[in-house]
Amino acid sequence: MNAVGIKPLPGFATLRDGYLPGNAKARSVLRITAADGLQQAVRVDVNGNGKAKLDTLKPNGSPLGSILANGFTSNGKNQSPLSRIGNSTNIKWHECSIDKIDRQNLLNQKGCVIWITGLSGSGKSTVACHLSKILTQMGKLTYILDGDNLRHGLNSDLSFKAEDRAENIRRVGEVAKLFSDAGVICIACLISPYRRDREACRKILPNGDFIEVFMDVPLGVCESRDPKGLYKLARAGKIKGFTGIDDPYEPPVNCEITLKCDNGIYASPSAMAEKVICYLEYNGYLQA
Amino acid sequence: MVALQGTRPFVSGYRPEFGYGPLQSSKLVFARFSVGNNAVKNLGLCRGGDVRLRSSRIIIRQWRSLRRFDQGLLGKDLQMMLGNEKSTNIVWHKSSVDKIDRQELLQQKGCVIWITGLSGSGKSTLACALSRCLHSRGKLTYILDGDNVRHGLNRDLGFKAEDRAENIRRIGEVAKLFADAGVICIASLISPYRKDRDGCRALLPDGDFIEVFMDMPLQVCEARDPKGLYKFARAGKIKGFTGIDDPYEPPLNCEIVLKQKGDNCASPCNMAETVIRYLEEKGYLRA
Repeated sequence: MNAVGIKPLPGFATLRDGYLPGNAKARSVLRITAADGLQQAVRVDVNGNGKAKLDTLKPNGSPLGSILANGFTSNGKNQSPLSRIGNSTNIKWHECSIDKIDRQNLLNQKGCVIWITGLSGSGKSTVACHLSKILTQMGKLTYILDGDNLRHGLNSDLSFKAEDRAENIRRVGEVAKLFSDAGVICIACLISPYRRDREACRKILPNGDFIEVFMDVPLGVCESRDPKGLYKLARAGKIKGFTGIDDPYEPPVNCEITLKCDNGIYASPSAMAEKVICYLEYNGYLQA
Repeated sequence: MVALQGTRPFVSGYRPEFGYGPLQSSKLVFARFSVGNNAVKNLGLCRGGDVRLRSSRIIIRQWRSLRRFDQGLLGKDLQMMLGNEKSTNIVWHKSSVDKIDRQELLQQKGCVIWITGLSGSGKSTLACALSRCLHSRGKLTYILDGDNVRHGLNRDLGFKAEDRAENIRRIGEVAKLFADAGVICIASLISPYRKDRDGCRALLPDGDFIEVFMDMPLQVCEARDPKGLYKFARAGKIKGFTGIDDPYEPPLNCEIVLKQKGDNCASPCNMAETVIRYLEEKGYLRA
């Protein structure tokens, strides 16, 4: 039933504007399977002119009282009329009939987050650009969230101390989630050195939609590139807490894709991008 | 039209308008090709380059040199204006090639529709109606609802003045990213202070920030009281509630005002159509 943002079972017609298929019975209870396998009971009250009113039901059959939000099928969206989330009191989740699935159908792709992590100079932004260009040529909508760029805008109030790095990554993760919900293939590229922060971002996205890509390039290679001259400054002690020099980088333990240098000859950025695209294709992100 | 991207010092870009004769000061190149690869090869335009055909467009990458052509040599299908071989760092267009590619893909231009007004004035309702209407026309939109964003990105913020300002600043920055991505981003939040809304306006290119004021009288909003908040506020259970004991500063110069006419309020769909007409007139519903 689209009004609650979940797909009807095969055999059920789409419910739009409150009209049911002709053979629907008044006060019938339908069990609907949501897109990610969650099941939800919905009571349909059909009045004289065939319009239906939907009531989502708790497992014991009593009404839930509010319609579930779209776009997010799990992660404990608060279902009471008004809720308190974090420091925000008296807020209510507003549902809308256009959901993620509608947008994905429009774009002919599935929204996801490609999270590219690695040392400074490992080639994150380069691969991101190549990936974006190739996907655009394939007719897919992508958007790059580059850590540096965001620190000029959204995250301009944050520094590089540990808690600010964590907040930087949290915010990028939340924004990436919004883009993914919009149906965009969002490419986030930032050092994101701490495993815990990356895992926190993974948790806020639906299963599978967080695709971690590790740029496995040795420190020596990154330092010899030194595209922004930062390693030189760090070695001279002019930057403190620089990842790889005097701050740790925690490589992923279980990422989806690793892009590495092989025997000193590393694949070109385009070849690396192609590897990511194969993953996307194989996992169905390049179609609705 | 053709989008050309060269190695440095050529700068990639795209000129939608097209005229005759060499350009005076800027050393830009653009060309119209009516057919594909063969035309390019015959001209010898592209050397050592990587030419890809996509429908009726050709994207030429990494071309290393240009030769000057007169119009007469090229035949009537082809008109070119070429610059000096030593062209340096000229900006063709205020948008990057990527942004233009996205606009072309989506057949729309990204922008931010900022819906402001008292609680209960109908912002979220309008946002949904707008999103639905635009979706039915094949346009990609995304709603940034003040309450919804407070569930995620802005969960660390409360309702005191500096947190409200930060809430609006962050949503403005995110909306800017969506607009850059080519999405028609609909932000609906009370955003009571003029300074904060103007701050968001300043983040975007001229014209891309479309402020919509839901001009509903306080009594109408309070009578609706969809979330029961006016009742709490009147009972003193909420402090600093906009309209009751915190000010709402209406816009002085917004693009669209939606107000009640007499005793009646236009339906959300009619209001949405007003906004859509504005978008159409300003060219946001095409690439």
